[in-house]
Amino acid sequence: MNMAILRVTGHVATLLLRHGARYTAPVRVFITGVGVVSSIGLGKDAFFNSLAGGTSGITPVEAFDVKNLGRAFAGEAKGFRAKDHLTALEVRRMGRCSQMALAAARMAIADSGIDAAALKGPRAAVVLGTTMGEADVLGDLDHAWIHKGAAGVRRAWIPKYGSTLLPIHIARAIGSEGAVLTLPAACAAGNYAIGFAADLIRSGKADVVVTGAAEMLQELQYSGFVRLAAMAPSKCQPFDLNRQGLILGEGAGILVLESEAHATRRKAATLLAEVGGHGMTCDAYHITRPHPDAIGSIGAMRQAIERSGITPDAIDFVNAHGTGTKHNDAAESKVMKDIFGDRKVPISSMKSMLGHCMGAASALEAIGCILTLERGVYPPTIGYETPDPECDVDVVANVARSGAHDIVLNNSLAFGGYNSVTCLAKPYKLPDPPPFSRRAA
Amino acid sequence: MTPRFVTGLGIACALGTGTDTFFRGLVDAKRLSALPASAVTSFDVSKYPDARIVEVPEFDPTKYLGDKGLRTLDRLTKLLVVAARLCLHDAGIKKDNLWVALTPERVGVVCSNAYGSLEAITELDRVAKLEDARYINPAKFPNTVSNSASGYVSIWEELRALNVSVSDGNCGGLDAVACADIFLETSRADAIITGGGEAMSEALFLAFQKLGVLGPVTGAGDRTTNGTVTNDTRLGEAAAFLALEVPEVARARGARVLGEIVGYGTSFFAPEESPLVYASREAMKRAITAALADAQVAAGDVDLVVSSVAGLPQLDDEELAGIRDVLPAVAVVAPKLVLGETLGAGGTIGMAASLAWLGGAPIAKDLIVGGALPSRVRHVVVTSIGYYGNASAVVLRAASA
Repeated sequence: MNMAILRVTGHVATLLLRHGARYTAPVRVFITGVGVVSSIGLGKDAFFNSLAGGTSGITPVEAFDVKNLGRAFAGEAKGFRAKDHLTALEVRRMGRCSQMALAAARMAIADSGIDAAALKGPRAAVVLGTTMGEADVLGDLDHAWIHKGAAGVRRAWIPKYGSTLLPIHIARAIGSEGAVLTLPAACAAGNYAIGFAADLIRSGKADVVVTGAAEMLQELQYSGFVRLAAMAPSKCQPFDLNRQGLILGEGAGILVLESEAHATRRKAATLLAEVGGHGMTCDAYHITRPHPDAIGSIGAMRQAIERSGITPDAIDFVNAHGTGTKHNDAAESKVMKDIFGDRKVPISSMKSMLGHCMGAASALEAIGCILTLERGVYPPTIGYETPDPECDVDVVANVARSGAHDIVLNNSLAFGGYNSVTCLAKPYKLPDPPPFSRRAA
Repeated sequence: MTPRFVTGLGIACALGTGTDTFFRGLVDAKRLSALPASAVTSFDVSKYPDARIVEVPEFDPTKYLGDKGLRTLDRLTKLLVVAARLCLHDAGIKKDNLWVALTPERVGVVCSNAYGSLEAITELDRVAKLEDARYINPAKFPNTVSNSASGYVSIWEELRALNVSVSDGNCGGLDAVACADIFLETSRADAIITGGGEAMSEALFLAFQKLGVLGPVTGAGDRTTNGTVTNDTRLGEAAAFLALEVPEVARARGARVLGEIVGYGTSFFAPEESPLVYASREAMKRAITAALADAQVAAGDVDLVVSSVAGLPQLDDEELAGIRDVLPAVAVVAPKLVLGETLGAGGTIGMAASLAWLGGAPIAKDLIVGGALPSRVRHVVVTSIGYYGNASAVVLRAASA
């Protein structure tokens, strides 16, 4: 053993080794607050009630004109008004995506009960995911350019564009001074952000991280999915034989993550859930379609389980990526078969209610998983009518179900062949975490 | 940080394509301000007679990728895939496009870009508005998604361990290192090609021109700060990847080591009353201090700072002041003065240039913006300052004997 010094930085014990490497002692990471902007409610309680009740947020699109597109429905967050959550200056500085992110961040911070001072300084970080970020800002700039030429492009709008701004706006608002990072991982972005945020804490680089993801519904994005023939007419029916595709949605799901030491030191913290292992692979197969044998997805789920220190039989429920497309749901069913064998672990897709909120999807769904962990409620897959032999899984059909609820998986897949799975658990239901450094072991 | 061995470099930038071309070009590189404007090929510049843009010269992806499958890829994707392929070959992981070391399941990608999907979004927006959304080319739609270019890198090069995109503005290239470091430490991969890219497009140029940051700025006049000719930012494009490996993996396969990444630091500092666009001297200072602590390198042991100074005084002055707060007398160079402002690729390009100097290459005098050149370079700090109050730094050292 070549340990030389034990140093305590913030709330993390760090072993300095003779060759210069630093390995932090194993750290549990907890979710202590969540905030939601979605088509089925603002805030945790409204969101949980809607999920449990099987409420659909899919309604006719109002944000833009869809009359020529052949599709007209989406999961729009119509109840969200930025000025209810942000200052006038903040509203002016941001596009809708950042506005939703900051509003959800404020809800999450309030839910966590964390003192504002604990979020200030270099030990607090912000890590966010998205697919297209401030798409409305760019859309406005583009439209001005197209119709009025370069002279019509307003200089003041330009600095408002860029995915990098999502965590910047939150960091400015809360006074954090650690990492500000955007991980644009398309439809898996929420899981990527949560996984990386947990790793930042485990590595000893942060005590508290505000994380999650945000996405807004935007005209070009909507049109593009229609042109990909991926959009269903009016309802999203994951795992159903007659499923016709996805329905886009929007929203923001933000979580406050804290190290065990940080959360327990401030006695007011409620431990909503523990973040377990995070699995991540890339199909390297096709830019939009999952690998037909789901090799990468299987690998990501195995990683999430193994990195949580458990075996598949410990998993009580799987929140599916469940987009409602032929390829996705079939691939995901193969993953379930490969991982769990003949054991039918209940699976459900919140996208049947929320729509596919793109980058925000797996962050919102991670929060939905907390409903399961807290109350033992499996949110339903609404609109499920006809079983598909190709999707031989135990779908929580149409009505919420109660069941074991100690450990769940949050599954996500994305453009670019991204696969990401996060294990979430009731506090202290997971075994002691493994050392952060797998190289040291 | 556990040292990360840099075992390969793939690059396409204003000096050309390929590591040897880059290293050779760096030796006697000239400031863009001293060069005549070069012809622009990526878009029609007839509307912008004063456009000063730096492109990758004679970039021909078919030379490296063949001529199949390129039709629907945007310029950024082509640049990044070429850089990735060159990097994997330079690292000896691939030869003649076949795997000769490691396996696809243990090699991943971390890729930064700031405005990667801009070209595709503006192109498809134009189709939707001037024709009809029904005429959007579905094969091009994936290019509008920020991580698309990085995803194509995995597809073309068969990299399955992981693929992570980072969008962190100017700091993205260095922040990608922080991600790769964690992924290597947690054994998600044995090697990660880590880098970034930014491609020239009319929309990107127009945005920066409208912001009034592309020089020379009429009426303001040039001024000199610490040797920097200011008000003369040129927008550039580039793509670069470094192959990062944990030492035991690199040693086990007998890999050549170009240099070692040994420290990383980042900081965000924007006072409440500050404007949204805000370059932070304090964040720069803290990022460098954190990177040196992470590397366990004393300030006095730093031989060279490779800055992100690009000719824009609002940013350059704060960055240089932050550098001087920690490293008051160390020589500072600015590759962007010869390569252009390459945004999400900038940090990677800075690290790539550092590898040349850690290997003993001479430093062109046009790159120097402060301090006296050291007799030898053993430790380099690479810095990036963001537009919104963030800053990052990475410490590299010469390869161990």
